[in-house]
Amino acid sequence: MRRRIFPQRASDTDLDDEFAAHLEIETKQLMERGMTREKAEAEARRLFGSRALIAENTREVFGFAAFSRLWQDVRYAARILRRAPAFTAAAVLSLALGIGATTAVFSIADNVFLRPLPYADAGRLVWLGVRFSSIGMDFLPSPDYVAWRRDNRTFQALAATRASISTNMALGSSDQIEVRVGHVSANFLDTFAVTPAAGRNFRAEEELPNGPKAVLLMYPFWRDHFHTRRDILGSAIALDGQPYTVAAILPQSFVYPVDTPIDLVTTLPVSPTASHRDRSMSTWAVFGRLKPGATIAQARADLDQLYAASKADFPQLFHDDKLVLQSLQEHRAGNVHTLLEILMGAAACLLAIACANVANLLLARWSARSRELAVRAAIGAARGRLARQLFAEVALLIGAGTVAGMLLVVVALHGFVHFAAGEIPRLSEVGVDFRVFGIALLVSVATALIFAGLPALRAGRVDLQSVLQRAARGTAGGHQFLRRALVGVEVALSVILLCGATLLLETLWHLQYDHLGFQPEHLLTVSIPVHGSNFAESAREGLAIEVLADLHRIPGTEAASLAQCTPLTLSGTRTFSRSDRPLPEPFHKGDNIGICGTDSEYLKTTGAHLVEGRDFNDGDRAHPGTVAVINQAASRTYFPGKDAIGKQILGTGGTPWETVVGVVADAKNQGLNHPALPEAWINDTSPGNGGTANLLFLVRTLAPKAAVGRALRDEMRANHAGIFTKVESLDADMAEQTASPRFNTVLLSTFAALAFLMAIVGVYGVLAFSVTQRSAEIGIRMALGATPEAVLKLVMKEGAATLLAGAIAGVGAALLLTRYLTSLLYGVTATDPRLT
Amino acid sequence: MPDRIELLQGTLDLLILQVLQWGPQHGHGIGQAIRARSQEVLQIEHGSLYPALHRLERQGWLESEWKISEANRRARYYKLTPRGKRQLIEEQSRWKQLVRAVARTMKPVKE
Repeated sequence: MRRRIFPQRASDTDLDDEFAAHLEIETKQLMERGMTREKAEAEARRLFGSRALIAENTREVFGFAAFSRLWQDVRYAARILRRAPAFTAAAVLSLALGIGATTAVFSIADNVFLRPLPYADAGRLVWLGVRFSSIGMDFLPSPDYVAWRRDNRTFQALAATRASISTNMALGSSDQIEVRVGHVSANFLDTFAVTPAAGRNFRAEEELPNGPKAVLLMYPFWRDHFHTRRDILGSAIALDGQPYTVAAILPQSFVYPVDTPIDLVTTLPVSPTASHRDRSMSTWAVFGRLKPGATIAQARADLDQLYAASKADFPQLFHDDKLVLQSLQEHRAGNVHTLLEILMGAAACLLAIACANVANLLLARWSARSRELAVRAAIGAARGRLARQLFAEVALLIGAGTVAGMLLVVVALHGFVHFAAGEIPRLSEVGVDFRVFGIALLVSVATALIFAGLPALRAGRVDLQSVLQRAARGTAGGHQFLRRALVGVEVALSVILLCGATLLLETLWHLQYDHLGFQPEHLLTVSIPVHGSNFAESAREGLAIEVLADLHRIPGTEAASLAQCTPLTLSGTRTFSRSDRPLPEPFHKGDNIGICGTDSEYLKTTGAHLVEGRDFNDGDRAHPGTVAVINQAASRTYFPGKDAIGKQILGTGGTPWETVVGVVADAKNQGLNHPALPEAWINDTSPGNGGTANLLFLVRTLAPKAAVGRALRDEMRANHAGIFTKVESLDADMAEQTASPRFNTVLLSTFAALAFLMAIVGVYGVLAFSVTQRSAEIGIRMALGATPEAVLKLVMKEGAATLLAGAIAGVGAALLLTRYLTSLLYGVTATDPRLT
Repeated sequence: MPDRIELLQGTLDLLILQVLQWGPQHGHGIGQAIRARSQEVLQIEHGSLYPALHRLERQGWLESEWKISEANRRARYYKLTPRGKRQLIEEQSRWKQLVRAVARTMKPVKE
């Protein structure tokens, strides 16, 4: 039995016996020729040659030799690696970081760019619209959607969706919750070829402006709020006080084609008679499914005609804005190309540095072991065998690195999903699966072949004689140039990453600490959705006054104001006009000015700094739409060098002029990463001036958010049961706005810090090694009178040359590469000289 | 010492089989027999003899058993199997063919 399991051992004893017998016979024969026993034994051994080599050669003949040798090599490598824990840990950690980071980023890129969209026959899905250059967004006005859907010849279906997800709706009766609602046209499911898991599709009449209303529930929402009860189908739920029929439950696998989580889907009001001349029109994001066999080019020709017709109907709206038509896959990947390419580049840099580091460590170790290798070669180790053994060490390191790297990938992907949910599309579809594992394997095999194989091949080509001679003299070396080149590359790569990270850090700094123009601390927003509810204008007004009074009553309130915008948003834009100049044409582009209706106390509530003039006072409330406060940007742009106070602005011919009474400091009214747009606050909070009907209040208070929310709900319950209030802090809103730049920065900074650390380890390794190797030489130098400073200079010169070359190359490359970061930067330019 | 000649690839097997047709022999004896019969021209390295013996045994042309040798030690004696004998005949004729062919090639070409 034992023989069967360990045939090699048994054969080895046989071979030894046989060998000993022959040696004895030879010795006997030599003695018969008259030699002494000792001489004969020595001669016989000389004649037989290396016993180990014979055993080795003979074992080749046994079939299991290859396997047993592999196993032997691996065991030997493991032993060697265990004996050098510091080296092993450094190498495995480097590889794990490199492989982990690369795999995580590539998995996401693979998902975004290569994996098909999760819809049936997704190749026929397209994104289309008009790219309105003034706002840089693609959408389609509702009259054009209706016309194009009716008149096109290449689409099986065109679905419209409301680009934004409305979040301030209330559900149910007593327990109000906030649900996120997506609005779509009735043919939405047909377009995406989705069949409900249960229930029915939207009916055609459900998208008519006064038609019945139905909702489709997303699976997780149905599971969490209706506990997978099927009898919910057909019953009614209340949204904003309006009844909606639950028509269907969407399948678990369904992914809404916009990267915002939603809870349910309802219909848009699509009016079949919509016209450009309607008083209001909506703008929609449109998805299309091509007819089978139709190509993008045919669809483009078709749409070109439709667009020409739309333009002919109402040229003021379109000017020279371009038609956009692209495959949905392309559209979904579109915005993150830059970010993902940068991340992939950074991850690849990290991997390259890790590989260079490991190659360097291996080279150093193998140089130190060159004597051992030479001795083993001298007593009969085949050259190929030595190289194989070294390769086994590399394979073991990479294997361990890959396993550790995979753990990192799992962590990293969870991190991505958590922190970058809004930043990277289709992230919810990313999971750790065999595909990710395959990518990791590919990455690590490439790593093995390209980087670690290099020293293995070199070490396999040991020149016995020279190594033994050098070893005898107490010096060993070789690979000096290669090692320094590797360190140079490491330094260069880490400099590139550091430059990129610095730029992003500076961007984050600007976003966070640039002068805001208001005081976000202790500032809350209270929103109350009233659209869709049966609120007459007077009732809305009454509610607003009541809520304001309630807010003032809540302990801690310092100021409260009804406003249509927060300091970080606008309620809309208009074309600027002034009474002493001719009126601009309708739909005139340019000369934009943001509009926000407020009542008195707005400036006091937000803590905005009044530069000149006055705030609205109670007297203005009696005459809405008569006075305006503008920001400095507006004053600079439209009244350059002049005093704006007292000027009459914003008339449209039909409405009265507003008199400018004050100028306030700029706030980031287009978001933190954009400069302030000229803005005017007017003393009119009615929805008629372009704002929504929803009520928004700003509250400056010392009380915490939750306390204000509770107190307000208590106050409201008495007179306005069923009205939904949402209290948020502006600080949180700002944190949300800096979340994605912060994510970019944290990620790239982490990469850069790791790269820097690895480069330092690399430089240290090379220098320390060369110093150890030259310790004899240094000793002689010192004995001959070299001062410690001179020796230090000698070593420093060696290191400095490598570092300098690497740093210069890195800065050069960084100057070329950081321009790709431009779209992610704010307040700093890509080639900022301070970095270099 | 006379000049040594490197063995042609594959001829060692033939020589081993040839030596063993006179009866069982141990490895060392095989090596010596080849050396003696070739009048010291062919020196078989131990490094190639042992692998060859084991290879032939695995192919079933030889079998081995442990016996007491002339030096009063246990030694492994190899002997031809019937299959080994057939193989020997085959190899012999192939060898003769080869020798004839090489000889013909080496002869000066007739005008």
